[in-house]
Amino acid sequence: MNFKDSPFMYFLAAVIIAFVLVQSVFFLAKAWKQGKKIGIDIKVMRDAVVSSTLFTIAPAIAIVATVITLAYSLGFVLPWIRLSVIGNITYEATAAEAALNSFGNNLSQPVDDETTFAAVAWVMTIGSVFPLVLIPLFLKKLQKKVDSEVKTNAKWADTMSAAAFIGLIAAFIARAVAGAGDKATIGDGAGVLSVIALVVSVAVMLILQKLCIKYKLERFDAFTMPLSMICGMAAVMLFARILPESIAFLEWRG
Amino acid sequence: MEKSYFDKVHTWGRVWSVTALCVMLCVPLFICLRYDAWPPLQGVIKGLISVIPLYWATAVVEVTCYAPMLGAGGMYLSFVTGNISNLKLPCALSAMESAKVKPNTQEGEVITTIAVAVSAIVTTVIIAAGVVLFTPVLPLITAPDSVFAPAFQQIIPALFGALGAGYFIKHWRISVIPIVVGVVVLYFAPNTVVGIMIPVTVAVSLAGAHIMYKKKII
Repeated sequence: MNFKDSPFMYFLAAVIIAFVLVQSVFFLAKAWKQGKKIGIDIKVMRDAVVSSTLFTIAPAIAIVATVITLAYSLGFVLPWIRLSVIGNITYEATAAEAALNSFGNNLSQPVDDETTFAAVAWVMTIGSVFPLVLIPLFLKKLQKKVDSEVKTNAKWADTMSAAAFIGLIAAFIARAVAGAGDKATIGDGAGVLSVIALVVSVAVMLILQKLCIKYKLERFDAFTMPLSMICGMAAVMLFARILPESIAFLEWRG
Repeated sequence: MEKSYFDKVHTWGRVWSVTALCVMLCVPLFICLRYDAWPPLQGVIKGLISVIPLYWATAVVEVTCYAPMLGAGGMYLSFVTGNISNLKLPCALSAMESAKVKPNTQEGEVITTIAVAVSAIVTTVIIAAGVVLFTPVLPLITAPDSVFAPAFQQIIPALFGALGAGYFIKHWRISVIPIVVGVVVLYFAPNTVVGIMIPVTVAVSLAGAHIMYKKKII
């Protein structure tokens, strides 16, 4: 076993994983207790748990795939640690590549010396920790401002809150329709498959919502979103198989 | 009562965030100590210079944009566990939509915190299980020629399509402008990364909604 996947590295990972789990359980327990206190139905909170679990599975598998991608160069443990705290798919690969480049290396070659490995760990960590400085300093003030806006002008605040969500979603929708991807990765840019994923998940979601209202399936409501996402992904698998390759994998923006 | 819960969340959140910062910085530090490997400062700075301007600026934008949506507990937890735009945020929005609660309310605060916490636990468990148990199998599932590979590459459109559908139906007047502007921006600058697109489409959406509200269109 080399230094990148040594028992010491696994020990570091175990400490980080334990930290993340303890923190999450702490906030979950506090929120659950508060929910009961202010009279939120237990069923509603339980549905939030189930739907969040279902919603998370597929993207989490994609994160594991990123760990595997980075593992060729960095071993399994460092990408595992980085993607379990603060990390995100796009950031970690870029940060690792930038650090490796400054040592004349890149992600397509295994890192074989401890010094470069340590440098990559520093760059990936320092690059990503800034929110942990910002949030303790500014979040309370920021949310107080939002809170006072909500209290003084509820309808306007509701509209602006919906508009902020829509703006965020619009960025991802636009990318699926017209964004260029990484040239080296098939399926990363906007093309036939990204539009199929988008259209099918929207259509399934609308149909399921209609059915829930029509047949009063309130219990099923929490599952409509994860189910629509999975249907979108299943449709991509299906069309990737049945359409001619030149059409299925066509990416109009490269 | 309401104030005291929010105040407590901020106190817990600050303690956890500062602890997380120390724990995270210990990882590279312990690697250096354990392997007696001290990289030259110049090399580290060179690497940092190429990532910090974009990522620290993105951090400011993300903290500002996500604060009204994720609530206090959700924010503290999300920014420690990461994968926000691709996972924690859609998860929280979906949970609020299903529970029919609004952000910036006591109920919204509880539901977003539950959603983000559960998502963080599930993600951590799946990544750990994936690394420890499924390492030999996962490359087969995610290999470029695997039957599952195209689906994994399209998670984001599928995820945001499902999430967006409900909003677009309810708020179609607000939705048209940011989507059109997003597509137009990408038509002329197709390589614009999502981290830059988000503030653009959020700003356009807010401006459009504000004008429509003032003109009583919505």
